[in-house]
Amino acid sequence: MKVLDRKKLFLVNSILLALLVLSAAACTLLGPVRLDLSQALTHLFSSNPDAEILLRARLPRVLLGVAIGGGMAACGVVLQALLGNPLACPQMLGVSGGASLGGILGIIFFPNWLLPIASGRLGEISWIPLAAFLGALLSMILVYRFSLFHGRLHPYHLLLSGVILNSFIAAVIMFLNSIVDFYQAQGLLFWLMGSLSTRAYLTVGFIWLYILVGFLWLWSKGVSLNLITLGEDAAMYLGVEPGALQRQVFIASSLMIGAMVSVSGMIGFVGLMVPHVMRLLIGSDHRLLLPASFLAGGIFLCWADTFARILLAPAELPVGIVTAFFGGPFFLFLLYREGRRSLGL
Amino acid sequence: MNAIHTHNLTFGYKNRPVLHGVSLSVAGGEMLAILGPNGSGKTTLLKIFSGVLRGQGELKIKGKNIESYSRRELSQFFAVVQQEARVNFPYSAAEIVLMARASYHSPLTLENRHDLEVARTSMDLTDSLAFADRYLHELSGGEKQRVMIARALAQEPEILLLDEPSAFLDLRHQIQMFELLSRLNRERRLTIVAALHDLNLAALFFPRLVMLCNGRIHRDGAPGEVLTEKTIQDVYGIRVRIEHDSATKKPQLFIRPSVS
Amino acid sequence: MICRSRFFASRFFLGTLIFVFGLAWSGNAASESIPRRIVSLAPSITETVFALGFGNRLVGVTSHCDYPAEAKRLPKIGDFMSPSLEVIAAKQPDLVIGVAGATDPARAREIERLGIKITLVSVSSVSEILSSFKHIAALLGDPDAGATLVEKITAQFGKVKRRIAPAPRRSTLLAVGLRPLVAVGGKNFLDELITLAGGENIAGNASQPWLNLPDEYVVAKAPQVIIQAGMGSDASRPTRQWSDLKSIPAVKERRVYTYNSDKILRPGPRIGEGLEEIARLIHPECFNVGKSRGARGSRCEGSGS
Repeated sequence: MKVLDRKKLFLVNSILLALLVLSAAACTLLGPVRLDLSQALTHLFSSNPDAEILLRARLPRVLLGVAIGGGMAACGVVLQALLGNPLACPQMLGVSGGASLGGILGIIFFPNWLLPIASGRLGEISWIPLAAFLGALLSMILVYRFSLFHGRLHPYHLLLSGVILNSFIAAVIMFLNSIVDFYQAQGLLFWLMGSLSTRAYLTVGFIWLYILVGFLWLWSKGVSLNLITLGEDAAMYLGVEPGALQRQVFIASSLMIGAMVSVSGMIGFVGLMVPHVMRLLIGSDHRLLLPASFLAGGIFLCWADTFARILLAPAELPVGIVTAFFGGPFFLFLLYREGRRSLGL
Repeated sequence: MNAIHTHNLTFGYKNRPVLHGVSLSVAGGEMLAILGPNGSGKTTLLKIFSGVLRGQGELKIKGKNIESYSRRELSQFFAVVQQEARVNFPYSAAEIVLMARASYHSPLTLENRHDLEVARTSMDLTDSLAFADRYLHELSGGEKQRVMIARALAQEPEILLLDEPSAFLDLRHQIQMFELLSRLNRERRLTIVAALHDLNLAALFFPRLVMLCNGRIHRDGAPGEVLTEKTIQDVYGIRVRIEHDSATKKPQLFIRPSVS
Repeated sequence: MICRSRFFASRFFLGTLIFVFGLAWSGNAASESIPRRIVSLAPSITETVFALGFGNRLVGVTSHCDYPAEAKRLPKIGDFMSPSLEVIAAKQPDLVIGVAGATDPARAREIERLGIKITLVSVSSVSEILSSFKHIAALLGDPDAGATLVEKITAQFGKVKRRIAPAPRRSTLLAVGLRPLVAVGGKNFLDELITLAGGENIAGNASQPWLNLPDEYVVAKAPQVIIQAGMGSDASRPTRQWSDLKSIPAVKERRVYTYNSDKILRPGPRIGEGLEEIARLIHPECFNVGKSRGARGSRCEGSGS
């Protein structure tokens, strides 16, 4: 009987962790601009261009990419379990739409506000991510209210209200796009396509903490997530209180998604693709799937951002385009495969 | 102390009453089948027993009110085999069966050797060990059902509820399953309550039958008392002929399709 | 997801459409009468029409048209990105003028189908902007006005050029957005203005007119001047936003400035003033600005500053 054991858990995660560290290192050294590593390292904390490229321009965004890639992948895994659908993704809940809208409103009305906390060394913190997070919270509350019946969150209602909310928000965003000037419109695209561009270690640190805590909590629910995929009734028979699990997982993942989108805009397909690929490689046991997807998501987004920086140098592509470019065809391929499988072919 | 005891159980949806004043006691180690036409409330009754639905009236499991148990506690002695197993994700049969052991270890630990042993034994009992590592969605309806029964057994339950467990099984596997249940009932004093469609098989394997009709208990007793031509006429509205099989001494139905 | 791809298709690299293709639709030049009722589809066009002396013929402008002051009082026909077809038609214009690449081509076709004459001018380079003045002047029946305007601006250009001639070229970053960083690229009239103002656009070799720049690129190119768009003119802000990248000469020497975007960013008759504004920021020392904030007091001559 081939089931999850300690050895597999350790092996898979160790390999992925090693790959993650290597990828992060490689992505910090790669870019459209040539980096003189020896210069950078010898003058690490002085105002040397190579050092600044390494430490201030690249490293924060690589670290952010790892956190957000991991967070998106982990949220994708749990949302697929929650909605009972292997094709669910973080974008479906409406939370990311709400965050985008909040961010866009922030850009339009308060583009230059900066939070008073910020020292030059750690980078600037703009008010806009907070506005975005507020939007995320409001969306989350809305979807929650519309889907909660007798203490249970029905997957059908979650999906439906998420989709409707996204459509509504898309309409509002289009309206806003039509009333801003041409130059603001460029900024709006950031929210819709995503960017990991950041120099603020404070933001990166905060997001890391947030996502790590969220991820660890979700990981601890691994067994329950396995059980909930059997159906609400079956999960109950096996000892899980589905209502409580659904509510907690929904709120945890919504908060995580809201935070991530607030900082980097909407980066799609990571939450859909990575869980699926990992499922194919290592199975559906969430106790392994969660950490493996988390690590794999970090690897994927790290590289996606590197491509985003290099592909059309000196211009930087929105990273959401790179992930969509690889994710779109993959999604179609998945659908095709799922279709064949469900037909028993 | 009864395994299951309910008194004056009532349940209904908004405009639709389903169960009216059902009173029933199931002793520990008893094996009984719940019969009745569609809509008579069999599945609802089982769902209330297993805690999925909440009805009005008294319901005690092992002497304590069902609400006083947490789901985890309940799952350690109470197992349910559902009518249909639908799994949206690719799990192997072995993984599915092992999930039954969730309430026996902390969420932060993996299954241990004992868990694996129990799972293996359960699958062996239901003749499903051969496809332990195959994906559930690749199995036939009958094979899936046997895996589900194995999962229920892996919970090491004292009480086992089954909702139409033989729905997808061929005759041979049906017989095997009922014989297994009888054996477990005898050897382990496993309390078994099964909702069944097949009156003949119920009569053969279950010493006690409870016939529901329109949400009420119509008859409750040994097969000979419950399966009478009059009862079948009253409850199902069809004419049958009952004969007692000389070998098994149990009543068996012969169907007489209506002539008029 | 549908929303996102529509955005991508119709809005992103909008600038690429403007400046790479740069189609100038010429209206039916052999028209009989001189247009008396004009609708403008862009702020720069409105400014141009006023500058040519035909402001009184405008019967409809966009909601973004705010210069000169009279323009604000003119009836509005919608916004810059999507003007209203019905309102335009209701004004019964003889001529509608838009900007190639900025005006929605589908919208333009619809206007044409209504039988209304519409022309789109191309403004992707300084010479095209100057040509557009002559072209519009000709359409409105007074070619001399166009020539006069071109002369005036050329003179303004010349003045600036002479002022900054002795000063060394300074590498410059001109950004219109900060989060994300959207910079002026190549094939952009602003790129030319930077060059004319004695600067060297660090993103000038790019083929896109507008592009997102990653921070590492800015650090590597080490611009000596950074100019950012600002709503209003909060002087202290921009410096704070770059202050952690101390290796950039512009940051070290405190040559990070904001500018008022309307004057500089519109490809219209104020480009002469825009050029001067940019030149003042790149070479403050050539304009006798004794209190040029923080710039190392340098004489306006080639001293390798």
